[in-house]
Amino acid sequence: MNEMNVTSPCADYEHDLVELLEGSLAPEHARIVREHVDACARCRAWQREFATLDARLAVALPRPELSADFEQRLRDRLDGSTRNATTPAPDLRSAADREYQRLVDSIRRGARRHALLDAVASATVTGCVLAATHRLLAPLGGFVGTLEGPARWIMLGAFGSAVAVAALAWSARRGALTPRLLH
Amino acid sequence: MDAGIEDLLAAGHHARAFDLVVPAYKDRVFRLAWSILRDRAAAEDATQETLVRVWKALPGFDGRAALGTWIYAITRNTCLMELRRRRPTVSFDDPDSAEAQHAAASVATGPAEDPERDNLLRLVGQLPANQQEAVRLFYLEDRSYEIVSEQLGMPLGTVKNLLHRARKRLMELARPAEVKAA
Repeated sequence: MNEMNVTSPCADYEHDLVELLEGSLAPEHARIVREHVDACARCRAWQREFATLDARLAVALPRPELSADFEQRLRDRLDGSTRNATTPAPDLRSAADREYQRLVDSIRRGARRHALLDAVASATVTGCVLAATHRLLAPLGGFVGTLEGPARWIMLGAFGSAVAVAALAWSARRGALTPRLLH
Repeated sequence: MDAGIEDLLAAGHHARAFDLVVPAYKDRVFRLAWSILRDRAAAEDATQETLVRVWKALPGFDGRAALGTWIYAITRNTCLMELRRRRPTVSFDDPDSAEAQHAAASVATGPAEDPERDNLLRLVGQLPANQQEAVRLFYLEDRSYEIVSEQLGMPLGTVKNLLHRARKRLMELARPAEVKAA
């Protein structure tokens, strides 16, 4: 029990010394610790030093407080938050809808333009095929070569129409695909 | 108090429950935030943010944890986000860092009229961050281990050990050099 060295108390009593100061020891245990403190100068000095530090900390540490208008500011913030949460944003919503509709319209317009161009191209190609076939078949013999006048033209017309219908069907299918993908 | 709040929550009266939560918890939430952030204005902002989050999340509170435990967890998360937002690389655990010295100095309020008090606050600022938080909260909460345990989300025994180590360390730091050498 060295009075000079107060850097630490007896190891077995270290926590008990604090609890004795705080009054949290059971009565019987408190009596035993108190008897030890009475007999041990080292523990007595350490406990005194601890009590001094404890008292100084209680006074020295700042005790900040909330501003007087804290609750009012909180209520104002919550009111604003409630308004934002319960009221949908009509402007934003309709702007998004408008933008989406513009996009859909522009894609449909593009699809119609492509379909028209495809139809014109198909008709031109059909015309060219008709003319070329008429010239190529003329020198040939056989069934085609035997046809003369209107019969030859009817057969060539039927062939050209089949090509044109196939081209238009392909074109229409291309035009119809794009808008469907948007839904 | 919490039982009354939880009854209101169970009945779906969230707004009325929140009206009781604010006066019951605002000061403790603020003190917890202050012990972590060490800045009054930032702690007040964090308290506002915490209570707004509580208000938004209250309808989803399922009562598995105690209401206080839940609110303090939100507070700690809010404060940690604020600390990360400030400077992600600062470590208050290093007592020699410039930030720790600055934080220690900033604890003192008002002019330096009491050198002994300022010295004690400077020593507190040299403790590791978790010990500083525990010490500040413990004395702000009138030496209640139970409240500090709930606020920090730690078992009671852990809080007692943390505070014991912190105050023992402060005693060592406060001793004159000749006693330390002895």
